[in-house]
Amino acid sequence: MSVLLLGVWPGRVLEDETRRMSPAHPLALTAGERRGRVIYSRDGCAYCHTQQIRFLDSDTARFGKPVEAWETQFDYPHLWGTRRIGPDLAREGSLHSEDWQFSHLYAPRAIVPDSVMPAFSGLFDGAPDRPRQEARDLIAYIASLGRARDLVEPVVLNEKYPALDAVSDTGRGLIVYAQNCAGCHGSHGGGDGPGAAGLSPRPANLGAHEYSIGRVSFALWNGVHGTAMPGWRSLPKADLSAVAGLVRGFHAGSGDAAPFDRELGKRVYSDHCAQCHGETGAGDGSAGSEIRVAPTSFVAQRPSLEVSLRALRNGVPGTPMAPWNTKLSDAELTSVAYFVRGFYQP
Amino acid sequence: MVNQNTDDELVRAHGVAALAMVFVSVLFGIVASVEMWRPDLSGGVEALTWGRLRYDHTQGILFGWLGNAFFAFLYRAIPLLTGRPVVSRRLGQWLFGIWNFAVVLPGWVLVLAGFSQPLEWAEFPVVVDVFVVLALVIAIVQFLPPFFAAGAEDLYVSSWYVIGALVFTALAYPMGNFVPEFLPGARGAAFSGLWIHDAVGLYVTPLALSAIYFVIPATTGRPVYSHFLSMLGFWLLFFVYPLNGTHHYVFSVIPMDAQKGAILASTLLGVDVVIVVTNLMLSLRGTGWFPRDLPLRFAGTSTVLYLVVSLQGSLQAQMEVNREVHFSDWVVGHSHLAMLGFATFAAIAGLTHVWRKIPGARYNPRAVEWAYWLLLAGVLLMFIDLTAAGVVEARLWGSGAPWMDSVRAVRGFWIFRSAMGLPVAAGFAALLAGMTTGERLAR
Repeated sequence: MSVLLLGVWPGRVLEDETRRMSPAHPLALTAGERRGRVIYSRDGCAYCHTQQIRFLDSDTARFGKPVEAWETQFDYPHLWGTRRIGPDLAREGSLHSEDWQFSHLYAPRAIVPDSVMPAFSGLFDGAPDRPRQEARDLIAYIASLGRARDLVEPVVLNEKYPALDAVSDTGRGLIVYAQNCAGCHGSHGGGDGPGAAGLSPRPANLGAHEYSIGRVSFALWNGVHGTAMPGWRSLPKADLSAVAGLVRGFHAGSGDAAPFDRELGKRVYSDHCAQCHGETGAGDGSAGSEIRVAPTSFVAQRPSLEVSLRALRNGVPGTPMAPWNTKLSDAELTSVAYFVRGFYQP
Repeated sequence: MVNQNTDDELVRAHGVAALAMVFVSVLFGIVASVEMWRPDLSGGVEALTWGRLRYDHTQGILFGWLGNAFFAFLYRAIPLLTGRPVVSRRLGQWLFGIWNFAVVLPGWVLVLAGFSQPLEWAEFPVVVDVFVVLALVIAIVQFLPPFFAAGAEDLYVSSWYVIGALVFTALAYPMGNFVPEFLPGARGAAFSGLWIHDAVGLYVTPLALSAIYFVIPATTGRPVYSHFLSMLGFWLLFFVYPLNGTHHYVFSVIPMDAQKGAILASTLLGVDVVIVVTNLMLSLRGTGWFPRDLPLRFAGTSTVLYLVVSLQGSLQAQMEVNREVHFSDWVVGHSHLAMLGFATFAAIAGLTHVWRKIPGARYNPRAVEWAYWLLLAGVLLMFIDLTAAGVVEARLWGSGAPWMDSVRAVRGFWIFRSAMGLPVAAGFAALLAGMTTGERLAR
């Protein structure tokens, strides 16, 4: 009787609901994602991470839309879980970049300092950016979580961000920074945290840039598209303000005194840089909108001369910024490195 | 009270296997619990990561410890209940061999090697499940014919529970272990939820109750208080327990009517347990059960824990409570109170009761007394600790605080929980001493 009442009958209802609500051609998992699912199953991931967002405000506010029956139509067997030690993963696919996932799987505490997740370094060849096939499959599976729903009802992100307080609470800022940011950005903001090695592009060197409060607020709220930087909307606004204050304080003054050839810098910039970085340096050049990682807005952040020159000479790995040392002379490089620093509006 | 029909070698074999396997299972549990606050303990070795150890911990307790302990009890109890021997000694050897060497040991190894299924109380891989079903069928063939030969109208309540447990488990096990492999997602979860409850409700609980119902009159020399209440409790249990499973997925996409039905059944379960426990406590009243006899003390304590854990279960199935504590350590505390409290104490009652009837076996009451206090302290402190941790988690989740706050906040509770694994392990060591040292019983 129990089987009929609580197994077969609900099964009928759910099958019906699936038929009614599912897209006509729902996307199943690829072969690699299916292999990843087997790894997810055998290592007990579902015993810390549910894939079942309940129809409750507290769940949906934190994790997103509740899980519908049709989304689970390819789950043999289901991975709902009954314990949440880590967060629910039903909508994880769109939350973190692939390099973030690999680095986190390889050494969770390098990215999330207080995490209690086991390190799955055995799925890698000794470094987070050298995943073996199993790690690739597992992360491919995780990237698929929530995809079917996203395709039907795309998540519309409100790009607005709350204005963060410029007043800084350094004590609180240090705590929040250590708990959430230091893994990648390093304890002093040098972009050299334990989690930085596997990320491409590398985490920003916060000490080598001046940032406007708007720039920091936007990045904290929305993350930085095309990089491993996720959005931090789940943190209280006061904590975000404290971190923003701290991050802006990492910058240790600038030496802008050296004279440079402004005309040369301006010419080089409009010939070679403005297409992506924009005529006014706001990162809004016509070619820039097409590329994966948005070009730096020099209006919102001012790199140190050293960082600027290094980016010009070597390019920025993991972004479309190419090395210019073979195309421009030393004088041109230096001039434009100085020139871009002039756009900044704190 | 030597009975020609009992097979003491099989009692011994299952008793020893139970104790050997409970140590391994507890070790899995302790290491897994330490990994929650020292996560790098696994050193990147996948076989030693938390998930696989947890699979082996619960499956070891379910099959290795409780299964063997209950089988040991049955080999002594059934001949006494029916006046007839179990079907065959040879069959018993097969059952012992399959249960331990085709289920528990290969199950453990396969899980560590990465072959398992991610379904609660069903983590051993499908190939092992086949042998579980085979063993359950053998158990039915081995243990049930004496009851039918004895005639159903004369059956004592323990017998009813044994019959119900073996038949219903053999039916429910394939449902929980195979169906979700063929029915996707939410539809499979509906069946999976049923088995999560049936593993406890149709396998562990009836066998534990059969041991309690057996040990009480056998040691006090008094019949149970009421045959009517015994029967009422029995029939309500088998009517209500199977309808509980969906309460593991409240607020999910599973139809709300099924959820509500399961919650109603969970409430009725509480009523049923009050009936059963009333009957048992009235049977114990005035017998001086606590100081009188150690197996009896285990049985009486198990009865009390049964009441607590069941009323807690009825409470946490209610939507208002469930929305808060579901997914938290509260539930882990609940399952420890059920398996390490109620079920383990009943299993020890049955096991030690039959053990000291084996001619030539050793029995050391001092050590068993130590086992009692160590296990009781361990399970109660662990239960309180995990329940408190669950409340902290629930409050933080409900407050909208960042997720990691809930992980940081309970670290101290997790360390304490690991520490409580030590009295538990020491309690089982004392139990082992109680069954291997002391005076040899007369042949």
